[in-house]
Amino acid sequence: MTIQKDTEGNEKKLLHEFADFSNRCVLEIGSGEGRLTWQYAGASSLTVGLDSDHDALRVASIDAPHDRKHKIHFVHSEAEHLPFSKETFDIAILAWSL
Amino acid sequence: MVHALSEIHRVLIPNGILIDLRPLLSRWEVEVASARETRLTGRVNDFEVGLRDDAAANRSMAESESNGWFIREREVFFPYVYSWDSPHEMEEWIDEEWNDFIGLDEEAQRATRSAWALSDGDARAQLRMKMLIGRWRRG
Repeated sequence: MTIQKDTEGNEKKLLHEFADFSNRCVLEIGSGEGRLTWQYAGASSLTVGLDSDHDALRVASIDAPHDRKHKIHFVHSEAEHLPFSKETFDIAILAWSL
Repeated sequence: MVHALSEIHRVLIPNGILIDLRPLLSRWEVEVASARETRLTGRVNDFEVGLRDDAAANRSMAESESNGWFIREREVFFPYVYSWDSPHEMEEWIDEEWNDFIGLDEEAQRATRSAWALSDGDARAQLRMKMLIGRWRRG
């Protein structure tokens, strides 16, 4: 099956209009296989993708673009219990997950 | 949901930004699109559980605003297009991935298959979803 998503590119365009990711520390909740993560993580200083789906996180880790791997980390967790200290992130994204 | 928002509030820096990005059910349009034209062939049906989920998400954001965790700065609705090689693939996807919250009735299926069969060779079946993106500042 060949599926294409966001064929008009609206999501990526608006995401960058709504937040400046340059040198920011970003938490993405519901990062899944990383489809959205790759759209902005290159600009961030650090991106943490969080999801409760082990398989999706495994795919994301494998698919992470080589030149961005050093600043993207994936974490298995529920959004109700974020395993981070207070005031850690500049930006949080609820990625199709609320 | 509210507990997750409380956690996000905790881990964001003061004045940090929360982006809320999600689809909203609104009887999304089904289309057949080729390089030459895009034809509307029907709409999906929204199921109760999906509508309840959307309402619950909206309530959670409103609650987080009323208790001072986040301040709403900007919201925009926009179309997000999913596209498949054929109507059959689209139907399969809806059955397997989204059957809890949307469905495609026989009339829309027939119209989409027919339009696709009669269209140019590059035609694809697509769903035009309604998306919300919101920017909230940590309070």
